[in-house]
Formats: sequence, structure tokens, C-alpha cells
Amino acid sequence: MKVSDVMVYDISAVFEDDSVERVVDIMSKQFLSGVPVVDEEMRVVGFITENDIMKASIPSYFALLQSASFLPDTNQFVKNISQIRDDKVSKYMSKPPIVIMEDEPLIHAADLMIRHNIKTIPVVDRESRLIGVITKIDILKAALREGLE
Amino acid sequence: MLTVTFNPALDREIILDDFQVNKLHRVPSFDNMELSPGGKGINVSLALANFGVPSVAMGFLGGYMGRILLDELRKKSRMVSTNFVFIRGETRENIEIIDPTNKTITEINSPGPEIEEEDISHLMRRFSMTLSRVEVVVISGSIPMNAPDNLYPMFVKEALKRGKAIFVETTNKNLTALYESNVMPTVVKPDLRAGNHLLGKDLKSLEDFVEAGKKLLNVGAKLVVLSYHIDSDIIITEDGVWMISPTVEIDYSHLLGTGDTYTAAMVYKYINGERDLVEIGKFGYIAALAKTKKLRKELPTLQEVGEYRDKYEIKKVG
Repeated sequence: MKVSDVMVYDISAVFEDDSVERVVDIMSKQFLSGVPVVDEEMRVVGFITENDIMKASIPSYFALLQSASFLPDTNQFVKNISQIRDDKVSKYMSKPPIVIMEDEPLIHAADLMIRHNIKTIPVVDRESRLIGVITKIDILKAALREGLE
Repeated sequence: MLTVTFNPALDREIILDDFQVNKLHRVPSFDNMELSPGGKGINVSLALANFGVPSVAMGFLGGYMGRILLDELRKKSRMVSTNFVFIRGETRENIEIIDPTNKTITEINSPGPEIEEEDISHLMRRFSMTLSRVEVVVISGSIPMNAPDNLYPMFVKEALKRGKAIFVETTNKNLTALYESNVMPTVVKPDLRAGNHLLGKDLKSLEDFVEAGKKLLNVGAKLVVLSYHIDSDIIITEDGVWMISPTVEIDYSHLLGTGDTYTAAMVYKYINGERDLVEIGKFGYIAALAKTKKLRKELPTLQEVGEYRDKYEIKKVG
């Protein structure tokens, strides 16, 4: 099976200069956990996830702690996210993005997702322009239905 | 190929024999009901997919209904790429009651959700970006209730600036806005379902129709197609006026989706290199005739369109 057999031909994307707040709004309205970031020619230049925004909003020392459960409230988190709400999404997106082409084998998409621990991969054409996305759940459904090869 | 639907709808088709108002009707089976993605631009995308033409469908979607519409659209065809801006409000639902016994269609179209200024600028940016990948744009249907009057002029102007061929089928209100802004698409098909009224005038005689069509030509349209007495159409170009009519009987309960099939077929002809405007109009008419073979909003294939290529007559009337 190929990526094209399973991918969703949806080219919803955000721009590098879209604000964090707008991107959160788009992800929330469309039930997306991440969205491709494109330039004006529709080339994929990054990928932003709710995780990237969450990471940018929690205090940096959190990474050093085993657990945050003993912290009394979320004031710091709320304060941080308010501070980055107008920031451009390009500041927090993953780049260069992991992308795949529609004629590649589906198993390659599965491999990329496991190795990079990601749920969604933008599908691009030969000019790196966005033509759709493929998600982990799409691959799992296809694998259960017909097998990956 | 890009289609824009500012006010999409989830269409609920119900087939009811001998439908009457003020009476309880029970739908006999689930086969008599269908939920499908709708809105004129979306319908054009689906009709083109039936002709083997891929397209990108854009517009505003919102809420639970919007997500169902998107799911249904993806199930219908993988040839339609989607790029919708999700808004705060809820996408509307339209109801179509088809009565094969009395040969009628009763349509109840909801006004649709409100949109915000930010939604429009977001759609415009995506539209502008997508224009770099297409040669033809279809903008069709109504606009949301609170949308500004210049919504059609804004998008048509942007596409004209980028040198695209633009096909529009919309209501008198939106065509008037285009006319008054002096911004006109390449091909215009006024949506006269709500009444024969165009550019501030009631259309009664053939002369009224022709005069309104010529007004649209005067501000830049190249081809105007006007529905005339339901089953005929008037094709108006700079070279003249033609009346095209069927030579077979039309079942009026089968008209659902004919306008969108008409537009899709004209686009099909155009992207396949046809530049004779009358030929483009004729092919649209033949496809619409082929659609009337089907009761539901089921769209014809090219082969089915071919079966109707000699079932019409056309004469120059001006």
C-alpha cells in the first residue's frame, strides 16, 4: 500500500506569521493535534503541535523535575501562555518538517512516525507543496484492513 | 480547479410521494432519505470528480454539522481536496423534499452561521495561496447572513488580478454587488430559483432576460447563462443570444443539482481547451439534461452526459 491509498487530501495549514493563539483556535475547532505550517507558495516549512505550544508555555525548569504534581497551581503556565499568545508560530514549530510523498510505501510513513514519535505527517508533492496529511490512526486502520505492504 | 462555497450546507434529501403541507408524512424507509455534503461550490467539486477532474474545495465550515459535512465529502470522493476555514458558528442544514408523484421539489434553505471579519481574512489568505496552483475558480452559492455585501467582489477581484478564469453561480444580491463594484467573473449563471429578479428588475419577457444578461456582459462577463421557464436556457455572449431547449420531456422532480452540474460541465469543457463560449454553454446544458435522468442529487458521469448530446435544440434569437 502507498501513502496515497490512506492519506487525507486536506490542505488545511497555518502560516509562519500566524499567532500562537490563532493556531490553538484552528486546532481546537478542527480537532487537530497538529497542523502543517506553509509559506505563501504552499510549501511546507514546519509543523506545529499542541505539544510544542504546551512545552513553550511551561517553565523551563520543569524539564528537570521528575513530577510537577507537587506544584500548587498553574499560575506560571497561564502567565507564560499569555506571554506567547501573539508570538509567531514559526518560533515554536518543528523545522525542518518531517514530510512524505504520496507515492511512498505506507510502511515508510509508519516508520517515520515511530522514529520521530509523531502522529501526523504532511504529504507533499515534488515541489514540497502540501497536498494532504497522513495520521497514525489512518495507518492503523489500513493495516487492520489490508496490511501495509 | 478551485471551488469556493461561502455558505455550505448539509443537505437532507427526503423522497415523499404526494407531499402536502399541513399534513403528517412518514418517510417509508431509509432509502428515501439521504444526508449529503452540499452548497453550490461543493456540488460543483463533486460533479467534476464524477468527470474525473480533481479540485480543491474551500469555504467556511463550523461545529458538529461542519465536521459531518467534511467527513461525508471525504467519503464521497478522494478527488476533492479540502481546505476549509472553521468558524465559531454551526454549518447549516438544508432540506429538500422530492415528490415524484406531483413532480415537485420543495427546498428549505437555512440562512447559515455568522462569520467574523477574521474568518474572512483567513479564507482570503488561503484562497490567495491556493490560486497559485489552479487555472479555474468557481465561486458559487449564497453568503452567510452577516457577511459583507462585498464578499463576492473581494474574492472575484483577487482571482481576476491573478488572471484566472472565474465561473460564478449566485443570487441576485451577490450579482448586484459584483455589478455595482464593476467586478465581473468570466462566466455568470444567475441563480434565479428564488424568483426571476436580476439587477433591480423583474424578468418577464425574453427581452428582459436578454437585457439583464447584456448588462452583465457590459461590465466584463464573457458568457451569461440564464434559466428560462425552467427547462430552457438563454446563452448570451458578445456574438449573440441563443435559446437552448430540450427535445425530451423533463421531469421537474429531478431538477435537484442541475445548476451545479451545468456549471461543472462548463468548467470541464473550459479546462479541456474549449474556448468557443456557445459550445461551453451547450455542454453545460447537455450535462444538466443528463442530470434530470436521476431523481436524487446524484451527478451524471461523462458517459451519461454523452447519451444526451442530441436531445436538445438551439436557435439564435438575437
